[in-house]
Parts: sequence; C-alpha cells; structure tokens
Amino acid sequence: MSDARTTIPTAPPTGVALLEAVDVRKTYQLGATQVPVLHGATLSVREGEWLAVMGSSGSGKSTLLHILGGLDRADRDGGTVRFRGTPLGSLGNRGLDRYRNHQVGFVFQFYHLLPELSVLENAMLPGMIGRVPFAWRTQRPELVRRATDLLERFGLAHRLKHRPRELSGGERQRVAIARALVNRPQVLLADEPTGNLDSRTGGEILDLLGEEHRRGLAIVMVTHDASIADRADRTRWLRDGRVAEGA
Amino acid sequence: MVYASLLANRYLTSRVIPLIAVLAVALNVALVVIVVSVMTGFLDMLRNSGRTLMGDVVVTHEIVGIPDYERFLEVLAETPGVAAASPLIETFGLVRLPYGRDGESRVEPVQVWAVDPRSLAQVTGFAESVYWQAPSESARAEMAEDDPRLEEAAHRLDDALALNDPGADASIVLGIEISPFNRRTRDGSYRPEPPAAWMPLHDVTLSLVPVSSGGRISEPREGRFRIANEFQSKVYQVDSQRVLIGLAEGQRLLRMAEGPLYDPSGELDEDGRPLRIGTSPSRATTILVRGDDGVPPAELKMRVSTAYDRFLKEKRDDPEAKVKPPSFVDIQTWEERLIDLIAPVEKERDLMNVLFSIIYVVSAGLVLSIFWAIVHEKSRDIGILRAVGASRLGVLWIFLRWGLVLGVIGAFVGLGIGSLVVDNINAIHDAMGEPAPGWSIGLAGTLAAATLLATIVSAIRGSLLHGLIWSIATVLLGLVALGLFRHEGAVMWDPSVYYFDRIPSRVDLWRAGATMIGAVVFSILGAAIPAAKAADVDPVRALRYE
Repeated sequence: MSDARTTIPTAPPTGVALLEAVDVRKTYQLGATQVPVLHGATLSVREGEWLAVMGSSGSGKSTLLHILGGLDRADRDGGTVRFRGTPLGSLGNRGLDRYRNHQVGFVFQFYHLLPELSVLENAMLPGMIGRVPFAWRTQRPELVRRATDLLERFGLAHRLKHRPRELSGGERQRVAIARALVNRPQVLLADEPTGNLDSRTGGEILDLLGEEHRRGLAIVMVTHDASIADRADRTRWLRDGRVAEGA
Repeated sequence: MVYASLLANRYLTSRVIPLIAVLAVALNVALVVIVVSVMTGFLDMLRNSGRTLMGDVVVTHEIVGIPDYERFLEVLAETPGVAAASPLIETFGLVRLPYGRDGESRVEPVQVWAVDPRSLAQVTGFAESVYWQAPSESARAEMAEDDPRLEEAAHRLDDALALNDPGADASIVLGIEISPFNRRTRDGSYRPEPPAAWMPLHDVTLSLVPVSSGGRISEPREGRFRIANEFQSKVYQVDSQRVLIGLAEGQRLLRMAEGPLYDPSGELDEDGRPLRIGTSPSRATTILVRGDDGVPPAELKMRVSTAYDRFLKEKRDDPEAKVKPPSFVDIQTWEERLIDLIAPVEKERDLMNVLFSIIYVVSAGLVLSIFWAIVHEKSRDIGILRAVGASRLGVLWIFLRWGLVLGVIGAFVGLGIGSLVVDNINAIHDAMGEPAPGWSIGLAGTLAAATLLATIVSAIRGSLLHGLIWSIATVLLGLVALGLFRHEGAVMWDPSVYYFDRIPSRVDLWRAGATMIGAVVFSILGAAIPAAKAADVDPVRALRYE
C-alpha cells in the first residue's frame, strides 16, 4: 500500500471543501431485490461549517452520513467522497480506519456507548485505538487528561467512573459527543443526535454542539426536525436520493 | 492493541457465561491430567517393581544354563561398575499345596527360581519383598492392630535368607498370591483365612524336570520343601506364579550341580562303568547384575557383555574345561527384559492421552458456541468500535485474545484441580470408602432447603428463569444429600481386585504441559470462527437499530 493511499492532508488546499460528496449513488441488496437509496447525492461541507441534512424517514440521510464518514462505501462507480480533496476510495481499509479514528467523529441517535466500559473509558476509546501496549503507559496520561477535560466541560466530571447504564439519556449523549471529539476530529457526523431525547435535553445537546461549532468544528447533522436544523449554518434536503437546496 | 486487551478482559470478567467455558476447559485439562498421571504412576510402579525384581542387567541362557558360572561371577566382581551379581536357575515346575479350597491338595504350575538369597538381596529388593518379617517402626505405625505381621511368630526374614545356606533344610518361599487362603484386605495387607492356613506352618511338594547340559530331558524329580516364608513383589504375575528355593537344592533336583562328566561316546572303563573324562561344573541359567550408583543400565550392559567375552575366551583357552560356556547368551537391561510388560502400558497411556484429548474438541465447540452467541449479542459494540476507527484485525484480536485468556486460565485452573486430585487421590478414595460424615449430609440438606426457599420466592415473584434454575439446584442438592445419607462407603480401587494397594499416580510435567498447550490451542481455535464472524460484522447494519 503506497503512502498516497493512507495519507490524509491535514490542511485543505485553497478553495477546496473540507468534505464533499459528488454524485454519490448507493443501492442496497435485500435478498433478490435491489433497493436504490442514493441516486447521485452531491453536497460539500466547508471548514468550520454546520450543515444540516434533512429528509423524511428512509430518504437515505443516515446512509449518506455513513458514506461521508467512511463507514460505508458508495456503489462501484457510484460517485466520489473527498476529504480535503483526497478521495476516500483511495485510502484503502487501513486508511479508512485511520480516517474514522482521526478526522471524523460519529454521534448516533442511540448513543452507542460500550456498556462494559466506564464513562471515562468510553470517552477515551478512539484514543486507545492504534496504541500499542509498550507505549501506552506514557501515552495514557495525556489521553486521560483530554477525555477528562471534555467530560468536565460537558458537566460529567462526577460521572467518570460510572457505567453508561447509570446515566440519563442526555448524559449518555454527552459522553458520546466527548468520545467523538477526543481525537480532535475535523468534522463531526451527527445522526439524529437529539432523536431519542426530550426537547429540553435535546436543546442542551444542540447548545453543546453549537459551542463546539463556535470553536471551529465542522458538523454534518442529519435530522428530520426543521427546528433542530435551524441551528445549522446551512440546510440541505435529501429527496428522492438527491440533495436539494431548501425545502 | 490497548483497547482489545481492555475489552477482552472486561468481557471475561463482566459475564458468567465465559466462566462456564473456563470451567469446561479446566475440567477437561484436569481429567486428562488425572488419567495420564495415574497411568504414569502405574508405569513408574511397574518399572520400580521390575528393577527391584531383577537388578540392572540380566544375563540368561535358558534351560541348559551357563557352566562354571562361579568363575563368571568372579570376572564380574572384577569388572568396574558392577556392584553385585547373583546366580539363579529359572525353570518351571508343579507345586502341590497342602490343601486347596475344596479341602484337598492342590497342584499349581509355578515358575521356579533357585536362588542364593543373600546375594539376591544385594542385587534386588528381595529382602524387602519378604512378607513375613518384623516391620519397621514407620510401617508398624500404619498397620492395622490385627495385622498378623505384628506377631513375633511371623518375623521370619532369616528363614527366607537362609534358603541356600550350607546345611539348611530344603525350604521354599512362595509368592504371596499362590496360596488361595491369603485374603487381601482393603488396606493391602494379607490375612490367612483360616489362620491355620498360614503357609509358613506347612510343607509343599515341588516337582521339576531336569535338563542335561546337552539339552536332554530326564525323569522328573520331586522334593519336599518346608515353607520358609512368602514374598510380595507387588507385580501380580510374579506373586501368583513364582516360588523361590535354594540354588544348591535347585541344582541338585535339576541335575545342574557339579558332577562327574562321562565320555559321551559311551566308552566304558576297566570296571565296565561309563568312562569318566572330567567334571561337569555346576550351572545357572541366569545371572542378575546390579551396577554401581550412577552407572546407566545400558553402560553396565556393555561392561557385562565385555566381561562375558573375557570369561568365554578364558574357558575356551582352558584345556581342562571340558564343558564350554555358550557362545551366545542374552544380556538385557531390566527395561529391555520388561519391554513386553512396559511397552503395552506406555502405548495404552499414549492412546488414553489421544482419546481423552478428543474432549478438547468438545471444549472448543463449547467456546465456539458461547463466543458465537456473544458475537451475535455484541455486534452493536463491534459496529461502534468500527465507527470509531477500530480495524477488522483489531476486532478479530479482541475475540482471539479472549479465547487465549480463557484457555490459559482454564488450563492453569485445570492443572491445579488435576494436581490437587492426583496428590490426594488416595485420601479422596479412602474418604469415599467411608460412610459420609454427618456434617456433609447436614450441609447438603441445608443448601437444598435454601434453594427450595429461593425456588418458592422466585415462583411468588413470577420469575420463570430463576424459578427453574433454583428448582434444578434444589433437585441436585437434594439428590446429593440423599446420596450422602445412603452412602455406606464405596471402594472403587479395591486392592483385592487391583494389584497395587494404593492408586499409583505421578503428574508428568511434560505431558501436563502438552495438555495445557492443547487446551489453549483448542480454545483459540474455538474462538477463531466467532472472531472472524465479528471481524466481518457490517458496522452500518450493526448500528442501524437500537
């Protein structure tokens, strides 16, 4: 594997979007039936921009988010996703693993914390990946400090040793956001981050995302709620597998 | 990979089901360790018994014997590395016991060893094997109060050692299992039943068939022997078939003593009697040799062979020696001599090892099914790991490492259980031979009552799962309590059936190590398929729903 397949630029060339999808197509195979979801979706996210992607249930919002995050792949010859101008398709499996670990952070509707790990360990998890045991003793304090700082900032200083089952929904989502940010990614991919929360708690989570956005974090947020999308700088609609401006 | 270690350890410690796999691996290892240790102990006892019976090296020339063996013994005595040697004649005969179970005399075919007991005691463990002798202080402490060996009249070691002394009566020492009246008890000792059937009070008649130096059979000869003692070698075939008589008496009966040598052509002397041409030296069929400490049997065998060559040359060059020693004699170490006995047991042990190792496949299957279910349950976690950047190899390693840790823990726990059982196998067996103590019945009963209470509580709360688990525990503990109550003592390793009075066992560390490695390898193999399944989990599908 050449370096070109695994190296991701740390700063964008002038005039290049941070993350962009060009004519992305995706079809799922359900038994003998082919179910097309994306028909050529195109969008781009600029450095430090908060983009909301809206669409009805089953419109392919989550699929687009997964493809942007390198968790899923578009169809063969099904368009391109570029991060800082580098096509994700050129990264290879190892490169994609590193991309998900370092450049993007995922936040899911259902938090998806690991129940066997404490709050602190969940937040540290992405930072542990790629570490080898020999160097871990020297690297651990820095990672603990970073995760603790984030959790304290999110009001969870008293919950560090608790297990996820001991937390409320809002607390769990804050842990998930801390986990997504611990490796200082360039872009946060949030899939209905308030979809499982009451409106007050959801508002708190959006406030928290807004604060991170003001610190320079780019966010792509998928939602079906227009009031939530209003928090974003820009909103795009996903309709019939294509991205459209406005409602 | 740090996260893989963390998760593997957490998965292992936060759930009960993997501990069942650990227990399965541990029990498998313990089972193999126990079975192989008993077989190894059995082999050790066979070897020890063999060496105790015949020394380090055996020189034989069956039937006809080695003429002038006394000179060969002198040559051996001059040979470096030879500590002692003892001559004997090995043949077969018929012994007429004083009475059989049917109240009449009883004739048994026996293997006869005509020996010099004093030199035999220097080469083998003969003196220790003589059964009726004064016990040592330590042995006395372990004997039952009614053990007949404690009686003064039973202290007859000297009689056994004097078999071949000049002027001694014709005496015989019988293998302890020859007399049908010697009843073996659970503690491994023997009691004559009825007491009047104690063999040293009686005589036997022994019939032997002499064979000339030319290999011709003569008329059978018969002798009356006082029973001097009995011996216990701890090898059943020996104790049930062998009798010992004095070498001189054996030579006399078998016509192997020194005597006149007549002209084989049949020429007569002046008086019309066969022409005497010299003296036929006494013969012995077997020479047992013990080496100095530190001389390996194979090395001693070479030295004995060289000594025999020297003896042979000397006799061939001696014009006075009318009867020459045989050119070829069998010279074997005790292990080679016992190969027919040891080799099958070794093969059996290896076979048992292989057969029992098949149960590793069972534990691998158990690990596989448990891990498969866990991977299925944990697919969402795997999706999360992939989403935060874990590689497929990393996910694979979590489960492989889990299998490795599980196998290693199971192997060591199994070795511990196995060693504990092997070290205390006779104590466990003895305890099983006694009625269950009251406290154990009480404990099992109390636990059964407690689980019954838990069953009732679960039923009231409407928990079917807990109710079922507690009711199964109640039934099992109730059966244990009932079994203990009815247990009156069961002896599985009955010395009156099995030959050794104690269950032989020795943990062979190399074999135990191989067993443990096997358990670890199969645990990893069992984990490999679910691990590969985990690595193949589609993170998108895994994360799609809560």
